[in-house]
Amino acid sequence: MSAPQPLPDADLLTPDEPATEVAPPSRRRGVPAFLRRPGGALGAAWLVVVVLASLTAPLWVPYDVTAQDLGDRLSLPSADHLLGTDPLGRDLLSRIATAGSLPLLSSALMLVVAFGIGLPLALVAAERPGRTERLISRATEVLLALPATVLLLAVIGIVGNDIPLVMAVFGVLLSAAVYRVMLGVAQSVRQRLYVDAARVDGLGSVRVNVRHVLPAMGTVIAVQAAQLFGIGILVVAGLAFLGFGPGEPDPSWGFMINDASSHLFDGPWLLVPSGLVLALTVVAANELADALAARGGAGARRRSRRARTTTPAPAPSAVPAADPAPVPDDAVLAVRDLRVSVVDGPDLVTGVSLTVRRGTVLGLVGESGCGKSMTARSLLGLLPDGVEVSGGSISFQGTDLVGLAEGELRGYRGSRIALISQEPMVALDPAFSVATQLTGPIRRHRGVGRREARTIAAQLLRNVGIVDADRILGSYPHQLSGGMAQRVCIALALTGEPDLLVADEPTTALDVTVQAEILSLLRALVRDTGLSVVLVTHDLGVVADLCDDVAVMYAGEVVEAGATTAVLDEPRHPYTMALLGADPHVPDGEPVPERLASIAGTVPSPGTWPVGCRFAGRCLFATDECRTPFPAVPAHGGGLVRCVRVEDLALHRISWTPEEAGAEIAAVDVVPTEITAGGAR
Amino acid sequence: MLAFVARRLAFAVVTVLVAVLISFLLVHASDTTPGAVRLGAGATAADIAAENARLGWDDPLWQQFGDYLAQLVRLDLGTSLIDGRDIEADLASRLPVTASIAVLATLLSGVVGVLLGVTAAVRGGRLGKAISTGSGIALSLPQFWVGVLLVYVLSLQAGLLPATGYVPFSTDPGRWLQSVALPVLALTIGGAAIVARTSAASMREVLGAEHIRTLRATGTPEWRIRYVHALRSAAVPVVAVLGIQFIALFGGSVIIENLFALPGLGQASQAAASSGDFPALVGVVVVATVVVVLVNLLLDLVTAALDPKVRAA
Ligand code: SF4
Repeated sequence: MSAPQPLPDADLLTPDEPATEVAPPSRRRGVPAFLRRPGGALGAAWLVVVVLASLTAPLWVPYDVTAQDLGDRLSLPSADHLLGTDPLGRDLLSRIATAGSLPLLSSALMLVVAFGIGLPLALVAAERPGRTERLISRATEVLLALPATVLLLAVIGIVGNDIPLVMAVFGVLLSAAVYRVMLGVAQSVRQRLYVDAARVDGLGSVRVNVRHVLPAMGTVIAVQAAQLFGIGILVVAGLAFLGFGPGEPDPSWGFMINDASSHLFDGPWLLVPSGLVLALTVVAANELADALAARGGAGARRRSRRARTTTPAPAPSAVPAADPAPVPDDAVLAVRDLRVSVVDGPDLVTGVSLTVRRGTVLGLVGESGCGKSMTARSLLGLLPDGVEVSGGSISFQGTDLVGLAEGELRGYRGSRIALISQEPMVALDPAFSVATQLTGPIRRHRGVGRREARTIAAQLLRNVGIVDADRILGSYPHQLSGGMAQRVCIALALTGEPDLLVADEPTTALDVTVQAEILSLLRALVRDTGLSVVLVTHDLGVVADLCDDVAVMYAGEVVEAGATTAVLDEPRHPYTMALLGADPHVPDGEPVPERLASIAGTVPSPGTWPVGCRFAGRCLFATDECRTPFPAVPAHGGGLVRCVRVEDLALHRISWTPEEAGAEIAAVDVVPTEITAGGAR
Repeated sequence: MLAFVARRLAFAVVTVLVAVLISFLLVHASDTTPGAVRLGAGATAADIAAENARLGWDDPLWQQFGDYLAQLVRLDLGTSLIDGRDIEADLASRLPVTASIAVLATLLSGVVGVLLGVTAAVRGGRLGKAISTGSGIALSLPQFWVGVLLVYVLSLQAGLLPATGYVPFSTDPGRWLQSVALPVLALTIGGAAIVARTSAASMREVLGAEHIRTLRATGTPEWRIRYVHALRSAAVPVVAVLGIQFIALFGGSVIIENLFALPGLGQASQAAASSGDFPALVGVVVVATVVVVLVNLLLDLVTAALDPKVRAA
């Protein structure tokens, strides 16, 4: 048969991003997302109050800010003076409210200057990578390295006590920080835009920026503006504290705190109102920034959660087979009726049974989001946070791993069950050399000394086909190519001389030629060492190449399993047929898209599985019968197939070709009873 | 590696030059002149003009700048317009005060912040949430307000520490520590909060990384995963933040020195700013820039040691 192509990547549930929380769908429509966080709402509310109160202060404050009452000095809050009085008997509420507009307005001015310079520079630099970008970046780097506070004092020393002007200068210094952040965002936005270059084509650069780039940067701008606003308020208050600001008798927040510091003995209360208003304003700005920053991610998560919760977790689609398959004597691993779920959430995997015989390779195949990685990771007890094995057993050489304590499981990992993962380039610790990463586990698993461990490490590297083992031992992960890194990962997996290797899409991230090398390396390892392997893949070519047995997974359950030759040559489940393409004997040159088109739609995500056959939504042969629970039936010798119409389909010699399928559908439409009756026994 | 150091050094020199140029231009943009500052309010226009001429103020700008740079190379920052004291000697005596506070506060922020941040990331749950909320608030508090509060609580109420004053280390190490304790604490509260946030975020990210899963899959003990592998990767951004912290604390020392009456650089720059003492102002800018640049250089080297990718670049 031909080498089947990789399956389309539905990518509905990647193993690293499980749905860990299930929140009720949000009902408060129309409220901006950042206001739904308590910090964001409180922060925004406080800022609005402070800004309004400060700007309108002359209209409502109860006392003249300079009106002294020496008979009522340093009083505590009272009906007359809601916040008390200062050392000269002046009303604190009136003074604090009046003092607010200077820090607020000059910080706003600072923001305008900082973004007015930093943002255009970032847009220009993002548009012209290369020399222009380098020049601007260097200049801002210098600006960033200047000591801002001291420079501001120098400005005051030279231009005098003009706070708005000083803050404008501070804005110039801060524009470097704005540029830094905005450049990164603008670059990534533009990269995304280039994907859709056609849409942008023909627009002038200014219009591209205004219409496409700037709106996409909105959140980041808002976050940084809120943060810098808080800093600005602090700087104005700090300067006033030092006496650089509105001089007596005019009020300022900073100087009130200074005043308080010299009246700690006779009027400690003075410290509270002024400091609290200042502190709360800065806290509010920062909380608002946090809430804004969290908005993007939270929105996306909320959407996907809602999607998952529309349907309540369905009943298991299939009645479990009456007798769990017996465990053969030469089984290394026997998984029975495994269920993996999100804690307090939907199931990700249900009723999975697998058997791996000693010295053989079992393929777990299916599209992304079918639960094959989750199944594989549960074998090592390495499920992501918030995901757990909620039923069934994983019997490894006679011991049930389900329910073992983390510490006991650790005794199995590496030494008896090892893992090689999908992304060799990120699977190794970037901070340590290959030698360190190999000798650590070698010493732990084999109880040898440092020197011997290094000898073993070099030998392991040679075993996985690395010729200049010594050079590789001295390298760091970033110096390795993908194929080399995967060889090192395999060597790492072999450090504890495991009996079972779980390989989670070990070649997906690699070049085609390297893929073949790694696969033949795995084959050689199985042949030479008697290792057993569970190979997760979405590539039927890999299965055909390497696996003795195969289990096809769809939407969290095994839909067909058996010896590889049996399953691939005579697929009985429509999903397997679909995976193989209409005709398993398609010549190698057949264009890919045509074959992939034969399986329309996507894998339903966990929590939205239909009752009955989970493939029914995409199956060309689905009938009402498919939408009620039914058991899996034995097939392919020791295997199974989970399709209620399996007999029908076999009887009619139907396969997954669009023409035949179309005919079949028509037939079902016209005379459904006849076909069903034909299949009934 | 050598090329890397050379590049950073060149950048450092340029930064110092830019700082000198900016402050120099600022001084000349001012509408007062050194002569006026020097002679005080009572001086006549003619006296001031004569004094300016004597100070070289009337020379072409580029010549004055050149002269200043030549001076700088000899480590001579000139004399004060106010009292004629030697600026470099004055600043040299003040530098240890500011530096010791900034260094202590940075170290303490680092230790406390990393402990809190790592705890928050590793333990999670309610404790982690409390730490992240607490640090979110603590980093927004104005340092000088925290300082005054600390004086009130620890010094006036509890009588534990002296509120103001500075005792040089060479005089009495014990009393030196007491005299810097409050300012260091005041700076550490915000600093530790920022470090805690960064290290929690960084640690969380690293703990979810693929290479950590590889370590788990090889049966590596959890403490080793956390404190040897994850912490090492997580340390890179934390070191960067510590550097920024030191620079911020160094600059921010102006306010805290004023509050605690510490004879440091900050106090000098405040005095120079309020009296218009140009040479002293430029001197402080130069010294502060050099310190910042040196710290950045050190940071680059530490980052390179932690991250093999940077080393190779
Ligand atoms: S025929 Fe029915 S049971 Fe079989 S795969 Fe299709 S939908 Fe499922």
